[in-house]
Amino acid sequence: MEPEPILWFGWFRADIIAEYAPLFWQGLRMTIGVTVIGITFGALLGLLVGMARLANARHAPARHLTRFLLRWPATVYVSFFRGTPLFVQIMLMHFAVVPLLMNPADGLIVSGELARTLRQDYGALLSGVLALTLNAGAYISEVFRAGIQSIDRGQVEAARSLGLSYRRTMYHVVLPQAFRRMLPPLGNNAIALLKDSSLVSAVGLSELAYAARTVAGAYSRYWEPYLTIAMMYWILTLALAYAVRRLEHRYGRGDTR
Amino acid sequence: MAPASPRFAFVVTFFVLAAATAAAQSRPLVVGSSATYPPFAYETPAKQIVGFDVDVIQAVASKVGITVRLVNTPFTGVFASLDNGDLDLVISGVTISDRRRQSYDFTAPYFEARQLIAVPVASTVRNLQDLAGKKVGVVTGSTADEVASRTFGRTSANIRRFDTTPLIIAELVSGGLDAAIGDNGVIAYRAQEHKGLKTVNDPGFPKEYFGIVVKKGNTALRDRLDSGLKAIVADGTYARIYRTWFKTEPPLPTP
Repeated sequence: MEPEPILWFGWFRADIIAEYAPLFWQGLRMTIGVTVIGITFGALLGLLVGMARLANARHAPARHLTRFLLRWPATVYVSFFRGTPLFVQIMLMHFAVVPLLMNPADGLIVSGELARTLRQDYGALLSGVLALTLNAGAYISEVFRAGIQSIDRGQVEAARSLGLSYRRTMYHVVLPQAFRRMLPPLGNNAIALLKDSSLVSAVGLSELAYAARTVAGAYSRYWEPYLTIAMMYWILTLALAYAVRRLEHRYGRGDTR
Repeated sequence: MAPASPRFAFVVTFFVLAAATAAAQSRPLVVGSSATYPPFAYETPAKQIVGFDVDVIQAVASKVGITVRLVNTPFTGVFASLDNGDLDLVISGVTISDRRRQSYDFTAPYFEARQLIAVPVASTVRNLQDLAGKKVGVVTGSTADEVASRTFGRTSANIRRFDTTPLIIAELVSGGLDAAIGDNGVIAYRAQEHKGLKTVNDPGFPKEYFGIVVKKGNTALRDRLDSGLKAIVADGTYARIYRTWFKTEPPLPTP
């Protein structure tokens, strides 16, 4: 029954990895998927929250409204998600927050059979993606805030004096310039998110780290599974870093003379 | 700077030697146990590790004259910690299996166990086969993981692996699983904490035995622990500990 051990270099049990290959492939797809969703929605959320933290108005009552409804909630959100461990956020999300909102007995939003089906088929994915997106959004909002604030006031003043609205000033003048400066830190955040997605294996999402844990659990061997996923993560982060460098190059053209 | 006096040097040497000798003689053996496993081993609010396993190893240790220090180690890490020397032995409800025997040495059995299924009260599941195609939760690398992997396929997406028994129970309660499988003692203990759960006993599960684990080749320590186990069974200590934690008589002088 036990497969014949295949040894590479005299110590690497390749047969173990081959035996669990479907789990590793599926894990690779899941890791990439979770990362792409997390970066996309994290960036959108980060943009909104970053702008909320900068929101201001000259006169009451709008001045108070922006403070209490935009700046404060955004600040609390960023502070919480940057100030607590991602692992804790994932556990909270999967075993506390999501069950409260969605469970077969008395879910606040979804209950009954639908809740059971959702939880069984997408539960770990849902809470994992939620936690990763909220976490990434908090970090990315700071990148956006810093990027927007780094653009010289004169640019905004010039645009406004030419009659552009706030929205058009942002869209045509500030954001394009800020985006160039934000690319390197955004790339860092994307790479961090890719690696941090490994924590979601704790709630049973079948990504790369989950495959390694499964193999390590079955064979009590650690070199093979963890070295395998280390290489896979490394290749993924290299590809991501390359993509960011290409983007920097492309959007940096306007800066070179 | 004045040269150190010969007398001072002598005193220092004496103390260093004395300390080294004392450490070599009575270095407590480090015992790993995953303390999320009542009634075998769990942490009290005062951070003390207590349970059946703890009482057994302490009784054995005092019989054979060794001192032990318990370290709470996640189950997924106990074997690696044995390998790299962080732990001298493991008592953590570890099932003796042929595969594990290839890599580690086990004492004689100290507990007879069997797998048990926990399901929602309304479930119609009666045995392991009924779980085909359903979402089944197990602790990564546990005996239940082995059983489920063998029955439903190692890479089946229907097997959901978590780090600890409380997590698979939590997942079952919140509807993410159709069933959870684990060692009878723990599953029974956890299931009675939740009104919505019941347990299903499949007589098809083979009997299993828990053993104390030492590093492969450490037969000196294993033999010593074995003689300790024999001694606590002979003098009735084992039966007393068993009654304390399981409220019934032990099946037989297991070891």
